[in-house]
Amino acid sequence: MFPGSFMMGAKDRLLPPSVPYRFFVAAVVFHLAAWSVLAWAGADAGLGFVGGQGPVLAALHLITLGTLATTAMGAAIQLLPVATRRPLGPVWACKAMFVAYVPGVAVFAAGLASGTLVFQHLGAGLCSIGLGTFGWLVARNLRKVDDLPGVTRHAWLAVASLLLLVGLGFALVIDFTRGILADHGGIAAAHAVLAAYGFMGMLALGFSYVLIPMFILGSAVPDAVGRRTALLSAIGLALGAGGAAFGLGPLAALGALAGLAATFVYLRGMRDTLKSRMKKRLEPFFRMVWVAWALLPLSLLAALAPALGAPLDPWGTLWGFLLVFGWLLSFVTAILQRIMPFLASMHSSALGGKPALLSHLSPKLPVDIHLACHGAALVLIIAAILGGWVWPMRLGVLAGLAGAVSFGVYTIEVLRRYLSHMAAAAAAHHEG
Amino acid sequence: MAHTEPKAIDSTPSGPPEWLAPALDVAAMDVRGFLAEGVDPFAAIMEAAAGIEFGGFLVIDAPFNPSPLRRVLAGRGFSSYGRKLSEGHWRVFFHLDGGADWESGADVKVSPEGAMTWREDDGIHIDVRKLAPPNPMLAIIRLIETLTGNETVVVHHEREPHFLAPELAERGWRIARIANEVVNVRLWLERDA
Repeated sequence: MFPGSFMMGAKDRLLPPSVPYRFFVAAVVFHLAAWSVLAWAGADAGLGFVGGQGPVLAALHLITLGTLATTAMGAAIQLLPVATRRPLGPVWACKAMFVAYVPGVAVFAAGLASGTLVFQHLGAGLCSIGLGTFGWLVARNLRKVDDLPGVTRHAWLAVASLLLLVGLGFALVIDFTRGILADHGGIAAAHAVLAAYGFMGMLALGFSYVLIPMFILGSAVPDAVGRRTALLSAIGLALGAGGAAFGLGPLAALGALAGLAATFVYLRGMRDTLKSRMKKRLEPFFRMVWVAWALLPLSLLAALAPALGAPLDPWGTLWGFLLVFGWLLSFVTAILQRIMPFLASMHSSALGGKPALLSHLSPKLPVDIHLACHGAALVLIIAAILGGWVWPMRLGVLAGLAGAVSFGVYTIEVLRRYLSHMAAAAAAHHEG
Repeated sequence: MAHTEPKAIDSTPSGPPEWLAPALDVAAMDVRGFLAEGVDPFAAIMEAAAGIEFGGFLVIDAPFNPSPLRRVLAGRGFSSYGRKLSEGHWRVFFHLDGGADWESGADVKVSPEGAMTWREDDGIHIDVRKLAPPNPMLAIIRLIETLTGNETVVVHHEREPHFLAPELAERGWRIARIANEVVNVRLWLERDA
């Protein structure tokens, strides 16, 4: 058997490359769209944002639903079955999920930006179908897995958070017209906790335990660490979301403290893996991981202020920004940066011949520019939120947009190099 | 029976353990038939091991070096010593002595990740079965980074390691071929020509 058939023999667990890549490309496009909408909305719209329909809420959902969740879907459908050694489900379900979800995000964001209810309802419905399919695929895969507690317990927490956040999300959308909620802000905060720390955060922690050691060639994180972070996270999510939903600030603050404890255990586990790594020089993607890891505990500290009664402007705004654009967007773009060329290399020997080298598939300049722009955007916008200044906000949004363009160039270049390798391999295969 | 003594992976092999002499008289439990029929003999071996008293012996005949089994039984106090008798026929002697020094008399080296390596005529073998991810990849990369010649590395895995190929390619190695057997997926790794 030869390298080509090595890949062929993995049909049960490896998806055709076009399936995960369509999610990754959509995530990159939504990233660009989010910063574009923020630039279009103007600095005044972003300053003091604490909720309500409009372009800022649309941009926020283009990042959360568009970039973060779409990346999580693309990565999970490819990585989860390999990690758990269980089949994921039919490929058509993954494709159907994409067909429902990605247009759903675009329509929902358009509805939020323009205040068009029919778009909001249609978009929310399509997103729910996509997320529901994703939840079903993940739950189906995890059902009989008992040997990867670090991954599976966090994934189960993500699925549980998904169910709750979709329910709360629907209530929030309906509340815009029917006024069914007594405390729209509190439910929105609970929705944010479940979406960002619950759904996305738990997927990020769970996959960290597989991806980070694999990418840096470090030792496996002990199961006990994964069990502890899952338990502390579950407590934090229950207290945080419950406290926010019922207007019990001190309870929400206790949730943030439990989240900080989970973060401490998680980062200590990652530190031990880093210490044992075989790759002494970390790859460029890891610079974004450092940013994300620094901002995760900062977001939880920032959450304490509004939970304990500080005004939402600026503390609630700061918390949301650190959480979504700081911790999660930095982490997800780091993983995207590494996983796109990695999967390309993995699939590049499908026709026989040598696989494309990771180092040849990953151009460095676009990710250097993205890192600089993303970092500048974080610093400028945090300063703008705290100081109430317009100019740093404008510059920060432009820096974010420039970073998103650069990340788009990186994505196109990775795919172009992969397709070029495959064309050469096909020609050699044909001649041979 | 023609005995082929396994070669140690380092240049100073230690001889068979002192406890081997009485173990040679014990009848072997041959699990090759189980494996040929696609049945994992692990449960039957564990049942047999459970009946061994302290100081006693268990002898297993297998078609390959059953490294994961040796690790598992070491955890239950068994020292082990393996011999390759012929192609596709290994005999492994287990001695219930506390297992504190279980690999000192054996023919294999154990990597920091817990993978066993040994040398055979067709190259250096590494057994990464039952290791938690990403330890199989780490052990394989660690091994090939120590090799300077054109030796073949034969990997004993329990599944096809999808994520290994990019890391191998980055180091100028490739998966030359692969064979699927029950509880033993074997990969032959070679340097790029």
